[in-house]
Amino acid sequence: MDLAFSGWPGIIILAVYGALMLGVGLFTYLRNRNIHESLDEYYLGGRGLGVTVLFFTFFATQYSGNTVVGYPPSAYRQGFEYLVSVPFFIMIIMAYLLFAPRLYSIGKKYKLVTPAQWFEKRYKSKAITILASLLMLYGLGNYLLEQLVAIGQGVSGLTGGTIPYQLGVIFFVIIMLIYGWLGGMRSVAYTDTIQGFALLFGVFMLLIGSIIYFGGVPTSTDYMQAYSPEKLGIPDAPGVRNWLSLLLLIGIGAAVYPHAIQRIFSAKSEKTLKRSFSRMAWMPFATAGVVFLIGIIGINAFPGLSTGESEQLVGMMASSIASQNMIFYWAMILLFGGVIAAIVSTADSILLTFQSIISNDLYGNYINPDASERKKLLVGKLIGVVAVGILILIAWFPPATLYQIFVLKFELLIQISPGFIIGLYWNRLHPKAVFAGMLAGTIVASVMTIFDLSLLNIASGLWGLLLNLIICVIGSLMMSVSEKEESESEQVISV
Amino acid sequence: MNKQRKEPINYPKIWIAFGILLALITPWYFPGSFDDIFIFGLPLWAIIIIIASLMLSATLSYVIKHFWMIEEEKEEIKGKE
Repeated sequence: MDLAFSGWPGIIILAVYGALMLGVGLFTYLRNRNIHESLDEYYLGGRGLGVTVLFFTFFATQYSGNTVVGYPPSAYRQGFEYLVSVPFFIMIIMAYLLFAPRLYSIGKKYKLVTPAQWFEKRYKSKAITILASLLMLYGLGNYLLEQLVAIGQGVSGLTGGTIPYQLGVIFFVIIMLIYGWLGGMRSVAYTDTIQGFALLFGVFMLLIGSIIYFGGVPTSTDYMQAYSPEKLGIPDAPGVRNWLSLLLLIGIGAAVYPHAIQRIFSAKSEKTLKRSFSRMAWMPFATAGVVFLIGIIGINAFPGLSTGESEQLVGMMASSIASQNMIFYWAMILLFGGVIAAIVSTADSILLTFQSIISNDLYGNYINPDASERKKLLVGKLIGVVAVGILILIAWFPPATLYQIFVLKFELLIQISPGFIIGLYWNRLHPKAVFAGMLAGTIVASVMTIFDLSLLNIASGLWGLLLNLIICVIGSLMMSVSEKEESESEQVISV
Repeated sequence: MNKQRKEPINYPKIWIAFGILLALITPWYFPGSFDDIFIFGLPLWAIIIIIASLMLSATLSYVIKHFWMIEEEKEEIKGKE
């Protein structure tokens, strides 16, 4: 991102923004002195998040800075076929309905703090809990790495290179660690709310500016009809398969993000959770829909860009709009401040969940079960800080080989879903089948991704998931569970 | 356990409806003749996908409101105490 219009106002916005986040951290720390004694208080905000805050914190798990900066270039290149980005965000809410109602109830009953803890409760198998925890930590780690790189690029782009990449990363990571440490989930959720507002305001101003200065969608359609009619046409058979695969992969994948699951446990009440989901069901039109239109307008505004050049599309459009008048100038500065804010807000959520799995599941469950909650929390927080340090080093000195292992996220995270979701309802699901399925799915998805193998234009994570699901179900039907285990499971999953 | 208890997973009709909507938000069913029809600058097929997506959001909101009641009553009674 190289923005011609930015410079000192960009630095001011980032400084103000950093100060605001620190203020939120300090405020939550002073108001809730007791949170450092309890996992519930620190990681789940004392299970007391209300509708608006819960809504924005879910919003931050689904929409990141990447939605604003990365989606318009895809729409620019693919045309109307990229309209799929609107329904795939709606699918996430449908996937939640498969498990969130019961999970909220069970989470409340057993005071669950992390997704891995549900595996422990349900299967009482060390192997499954550890495999699921590692998959989540690995996926979350890579996801965090991606956010750190994006923060650095965003800051150096917004300030026209005045603040270099490394300094940008360090500045925001330190702020994020401080407010996270001070206020836990409460800090994260309150900052998510501020970040969500900044982002929504910015994209709407970008859309309005694009319509005023570049002409609306009809102008762009006329252009496509004349020069690139394929961008308007109905998707062909491989296009339709890819479309459906995206709906399923993102629908299920984003719903079982560990940090998204953890937010279900944070809800103040069922009613609060329901209202937040209900709002989320409509958000894709205001977010993915708006950025899709921006990409389509870009086809006419900046025709003929190569793939690499088109990645800069949002920066180019914002620069043109910012040069028109003062209102748009500041709106675009706010937009890019909001983009960076959104990336930080995604990063902090991931980090908090990462720390909670260490605190609660690995350290608290297996290494030192007798530790006090205070100690478990401290270990989780410290290991989280160390992990961020390692990830920053990887971001600065990317390894020359095996770079693909840092790309795996979604493909791995989605493999926890059969054991996680079906286990909520089916008491005969066999722990060994769950473990075998999860492992096989992980191997298939990883190998296909690392070696860039493709089958029928369907995502590699979905092939892994399919195998995982088959092993879970057929394995469970073939192996018998003792009557005692069956009735114990029945007891656990009843609501 | 109260009589009002409802969970979306227990209603097959809901999932049939979601299945139909999933089919409607996937662009496999448009005749080739739709290629050249535009309304307000948008291809007709894209408008139909958007309408189907709005229907999906509306259905989701409806299901969330009316078919998901596990803890709500208990929590409200507790809240009043």
